[in-house]
Order: sequence, then structure tokens, then C-alpha cells
Amino acid sequence: MAEELPGAWFGFGFCGFGQALGSGRARRVLSPEPLRAPGAGLDVYRVSASWSYTAFVSRGGRLELAGAAGGAAGGCRDAWASEALLVLLRAGPGPEPGAELQAWAPGSALRGEPLWVHTVEAEAEGDDGPGGKPQAGPLPLLPCARAYVSPRPPFYRPLAPGLRARRLELGAEHALLLDEAGQVFSWGGGRHGQLGHGTLEAELEPRPLEALQGLPMAEVAAGGWHSVSVSETGDVYIWGWNESGQLALPTRSLAEDGKTVAGEAAGLHEGGPDVKSTAGGEDGAPTPFIAVQPFPALLDLPRGSEAVKASCGSRHTAVVTRTGELYTWGWGKYGQLGHKDTSSWDRPCRVEYFVERQLQVRAVSCGPWNTYAYAVEQEKS
Amino acid sequence: MAEDINRDPLAGAGALWEALLALLPRTKEELKLDLSEKVERSVVMLLQEATELFYGGRRNECLQTSEAVLDYSWEKLNTGPWQDVDKDWRRVYAFGCLLKAACLCEASEDATTVAAALKVCDMGLLMGAAILGDILIKVAAILQTHLLSRKRPAQGPTQEQPSTKKARNEHVSIPDMKSERTVPRLHCPSLQYFRKHFLVPERPVILEGVADHWPCMKKWSLEYIQEVAGCRTVPVEVGSRYTDEEWSQTLMTVNEFISKYIVDEPRDVGYLAQHQLFDQIPELKQDISIPDYCCLGDGEEDEITINAWFGPQGTVSPLHQDPQQNLLVQVIGRKYIRLYSPQESEALYPHDTHLLHNTSQVDVEHPDLEKFPQFAEAPFLSCILSPGEVLFIPVKYWHYVRALDLSFSVSFWWS
Repeated sequence: MAEELPGAWFGFGFCGFGQALGSGRARRVLSPEPLRAPGAGLDVYRVSASWSYTAFVSRGGRLELAGAAGGAAGGCRDAWASEALLVLLRAGPGPEPGAELQAWAPGSALRGEPLWVHTVEAEAEGDDGPGGKPQAGPLPLLPCARAYVSPRPPFYRPLAPGLRARRLELGAEHALLLDEAGQVFSWGGGRHGQLGHGTLEAELEPRPLEALQGLPMAEVAAGGWHSVSVSETGDVYIWGWNESGQLALPTRSLAEDGKTVAGEAAGLHEGGPDVKSTAGGEDGAPTPFIAVQPFPALLDLPRGSEAVKASCGSRHTAVVTRTGELYTWGWGKYGQLGHKDTSSWDRPCRVEYFVERQLQVRAVSCGPWNTYAYAVEQEKS
Repeated sequence: MAEDINRDPLAGAGALWEALLALLPRTKEELKLDLSEKVERSVVMLLQEATELFYGGRRNECLQTSEAVLDYSWEKLNTGPWQDVDKDWRRVYAFGCLLKAACLCEASEDATTVAAALKVCDMGLLMGAAILGDILIKVAAILQTHLLSRKRPAQGPTQEQPSTKKARNEHVSIPDMKSERTVPRLHCPSLQYFRKHFLVPERPVILEGVADHWPCMKKWSLEYIQEVAGCRTVPVEVGSRYTDEEWSQTLMTVNEFISKYIVDEPRDVGYLAQHQLFDQIPELKQDISIPDYCCLGDGEEDEITINAWFGPQGTVSPLHQDPQQNLLVQVIGRKYIRLYSPQESEALYPHDTHLLHNTSQVDVEHPDLEKFPQFAEAPFLSCILSPGEVLFIPVKYWHYVRALDLSFSVSFWWS
């Protein structure tokens, strides 16, 4: 991320607790707005948003909180925000390159003592980046990649030794893991098909997704009850609950509300399900609404775009493409899709704000009901 | 919205609003949320803000804040199995419904608004848990009364006379039961006799003369049900049986259910099944009683689950077992019922998934005997249950039910 023109973070969606989105004290923001303090002015590289507050971590190690939880701290390498716990990864107390994992009550404003502390040893294995710092993915996966943090006790959860985790994401009742070889695993509750194994059964232990075996994945993202993975070649696979169209599959609730997008002609993708906006054809042909998709479905983005990043809120999905566009779909009631209104969409829709301003989106991070995107100015050709 | 500081913030327009206000606590201090630490601090803050806005007369802001409370608690209600959802999250949801319904009625008292507010109350009753002394039931009753008083002069009695519609009977297949062993029948057995000969040995029996004088037997008809419950929102199962892929659950008013799935040649099968209608609409509860035999169990009377089962001819409940004793009271129409002992479970090929492990894979009246060979030899009892009769289904006894007519049954689950 260091070789580009410096960019900025933008936010949209629910900010009913004053979470640094946009310019005013509005409860929700319907279109991207540059972050205001404390997010603005920091060289933010990590945004972790919970429902009622957001944590920003800057490259200089500064942590700022905005929303129902406030406070700031230094020496932070990573942060993970949830309603129950704020988890911080901070530089260790001593000179060794280890780090300290701290769990705080969000309401504590980072004053007093954390609820618990766990020392993370630095990994001595050869794959570390420069400076000896472990390179595993962000929280809730720990740098050693041997364990992860959960907002519910037990907070510290070891992973099976055989798993070489690169990335881990938590949904409302499930977990997704991406390993070094690009294989996706899932476990936890499965009643909405979010595990992707083709059933609605729960899994106690990480189980590899057979449907994706042999397709190396670059990224995984977990929503409340849905899952996304992005392959190294830019394909998007998606599964789980589709009640608000968060899988970009036709959903009954939107059709009945008359809000299904009948199809922007340019946005229709070949080979995808034929979306009819009228519920239950009069000719008797059943409309193929999908409430639950229990195994991965390949999603075609408009214009044949390749995905590079993905993030999910509780009921919406956001994807960044190789060419710097941001697509969002799913639940839109709080403006979290960024399309200037509160409609929900059951097909990918480009966030035009960035295109109009010639900004290239490079990263996206979703809170449950909002979306933060990092964008840079397009290089002049 | 300019507000006169001297004006009472809660002063509203009409009689409905006055009636609602009388139900609610007078001040925000008196509105006790009483929520445990399980409920996240941020949500409690938002809910308190909503009540402040309400008592401050800031209706639009209260609506928005209540909406956020509803949306967040809805997500909690959908996390994990329903029985594990903390009751306090359901109370949060109910509070959100209460404030939203009240705000809607403050704005306007026309039928559309009141119907919408009633729907919100029903959602609070269906998904929420009791708050403020079961206030949602009282609010719903007031809204319902208001709606009915507005409706009657405009419309005549219900246009449909579906109870006389006999054309469908041509397609009903009444089972040929000549070769089937029937469930024994008893007339008003004593509690001791019932316990000794049926409850303890876990044997099914039909009890006659027990419920046949309940008010529901004479009072209930489509017209009456529409009168008492027509505008109330209820869960409806759509699809031939719950083991089908196209099966789904949805919400609609009782009027909508009747017009879409009972009269007018319905396209799909709709079933108002396994719903605690009598908790939602206390007026209906007065038409039924609790059979004395239920007190032979270990539980308290308020632990007895009473469900309504209301649907057209042809609804099917696939062969399944329940974890409690069941007394099934037939009120309208007849049902064909087959019963298999739990000892025959292996021959009934239950699904091996956790979700459906109490449901058989076999279609009882059209069994695939190649796939399920043992089923043919499994012994069973059967009956046609008619209005006024009560069927005792022992705990875990497998049962299959098909409605032969427009049917209304009431089940009592007890332990």
C-alpha cells in the first residue's frame, strides 16, 4: 500500500452513535462522505467498525475510537471492534518483538485496566516480513495465526495445529478461515447455509469447503449470516442467507416491496438467474427466489470486473475491483450501500460517488450497518 | 417542527390516542426497561433515547430511533436457535414495537395507519416477550376495536360464504380404513382410568364427551374467526408439507389467509399451523378450556402450550413425533390421522439431520416401498377425528395428519 498517492477514507451508512461518518449529526449517511475527526487527519490503515462505534488505527500506531465508545491510545498495531469487546494488539511492554493482546470493555474509554491481557510471542519461523513482525492477517486472527479472538467467552480460541491460517473472519454465528494454500474452511452455526457445505447443519470444527477445493482463494469475508470468498483470479463466490439480497440473488422480500432492481441493461450478467421484479409470474412460471444458498455460488460482477477485496456487514456485501470500483448490494435501509438512497439491492451496484470523482477504491471495511472505503486519486494517464 | 414549550408534548388528536396513552406509563421515569446485562449497553442507551423522545413528543425522531432498536434486536432474534435467544432481547424487540405502534397512532387514526400499528403490535407479540404487564395485548385489543368500529358500517357482512362451498369435496380422498386398526374410543373416562390405561402405558385414545360442549364447537365459523381475528397478523406455512423444498413461512393477516388459502380456489396450500393464537387473541381463549387430563402431568398449567391449527381441506403434517404429551381437540371439519408407536421408529426412517430427526422420510399415504421397505410392515392405528372429539397422542408417538375438510384443531402440549 505504500507505493501510491496518499488516499483517504470515506464512510456511509448508519452513524446513529456519531461514528465519524460524514459532516453532520445525521443518523445515517446515504452517500460516501470523507471521514471527519477523529478518523480524518490520521494516516489510517485499519478501520474496524462495530455497530455503535468504530476503531481507527493509524500507521503511527495511534488508535482512535468514535461513536458510543470513545478514547484514544498509542502503540497500537491492530484493533478489532465488537459490541462486547474492543480487542487491541499493542506493542509488547519489553524490548522483544512480541506483542500484547488486550481486551477492553468498549465503555471504558481505554482508561483503567483491560478486561484481560494475553502475550503473543513473535514467531521465529522464516516467513516473517521485514523487521521480524509476524505477517498473518488482521484480528480477530492473532499474529501467530495459532489462535483467534472471540467476542464471547472463551475469548482466546486456539486453532488446530494443522491449520495454517492466513485470514479469519467472524459472522453472527459462524467463522470463516482462509489458509496459506488458499483453501477456505468454515464452522459454527449453519442454519442459514452460511457454512457452505450444502446443508443447514452446524459444524463444531473447521471444515474445508469441498466446493472450492482446487480454486485458490485470496480473500474471505463474513457477514452476519453470509459468506464471501474471492479467488486469486478475481472471481467472487458467495453463500448463506439472502433475505435482503446480500448474495446478489433474487429475494422475495425485495420483489414484493417492488424494490428489486428490474435490471439496468448494462448491469445484467449472462448466465445469472433471471430476475423478475414481478412476484410469481401470472403465466404460472415460479419466480426463482432464493432465501438460502447453502453452497458457494459464483457471482458475475457487471462488466466482467475482477474482484480483489471483499467485506460484509450484517446483511450487505461490498467488493472492490481490480480497476478501483466499489460494488455494493444487500440491505440498504441505513444507506450502507452508498447509492444515495435507502433501497436494498439484490444485484451488484456500483457506488458512483467514486467514479464521478475519479477516485480509485483500494480497500473496504464494513461495520454491521455501514461501510468504510479507502480511495486514492486516479493517476493521470 | 416548531413545538410550543407550554403545550403537553403528548397531547394528541383523537380518542384512540387517549386510550393508548392511558395504557402507557405516564412519564418516562415510570417506564421501567428492566433489562439484564445480556443486552448490550449501546442498545439500552438507544432504547432510553427512544423513550425520552416519545415522552418529549418528538414522534418522528422516536420512530427512527425505535426502528434502529427493532432492526438491531431483530438480528439478535435471528442469531442462534430460537430457544437460545435471550428473553431480554425479545423484550427489547417488544419495546421497539410498542413505541413504534404508539408513534404511528399519534400521527393519524385512519384505518391504514391503525392496521399498520396493529401489525407492529402483532410482530411484538409473535417475536417479542411480555413487557409492562403484557401491554402489547392490551394495545392490540384497542387498535382492533378501533378498526372494527370503523369497518362495519362501510362493509356488509363478509361476502364469501365459503362454508357452503362443497365443490372441492370431489377431490378429497377419504381413506379406505377397512383394513386399518382404529384408535379406541372412550366416553368421559375418569382421570384415574385414563392415567392407568392410556397415559402411563403411552397408548392413544379418542375421548368423546369431553370437549363437545365447549363454546367453540357452536361459535366458530369462518365468519366468526374473521370477526374476532381478521385483522391480526399470524404466521402461515405455505407449501404442501414442511419437508418440501418449496415450503416457506410467511406472515399475513387472518383475513388475507382466509381469502388467499381457503376461499377462491387457492393455488397453493397454506396452513395456519402450530401458532399460539390464544395468547395473541385472548377473546378466542374464552371459547376453549383446558382438558382436565392435562393436569395429570408434572408441569404447571401455565406451561401448557396451546396451538391453533387452521387450514383448508388437504393440509398435511408429515409423519413426525413431538417431545410432549398432546391432546388434540377437533373443532371444525375432520382429520385423518395415523399413529405409529415409538417402538416402530426404525421402520419409519427418520431423517438423519439434526433439524428433521423427529420427522419421518416416508410419505405415509404414498410410501416409496422400494426405498423404505420396512414401512409396509409397521403396525399403526388410525382414525378420522371429527368435531367435538379429542385425540390423546402420547409423547413421542409418531403421527400423520391430513385434513379432509376445512379444519380447525386446537392442540394442548403438556408434560
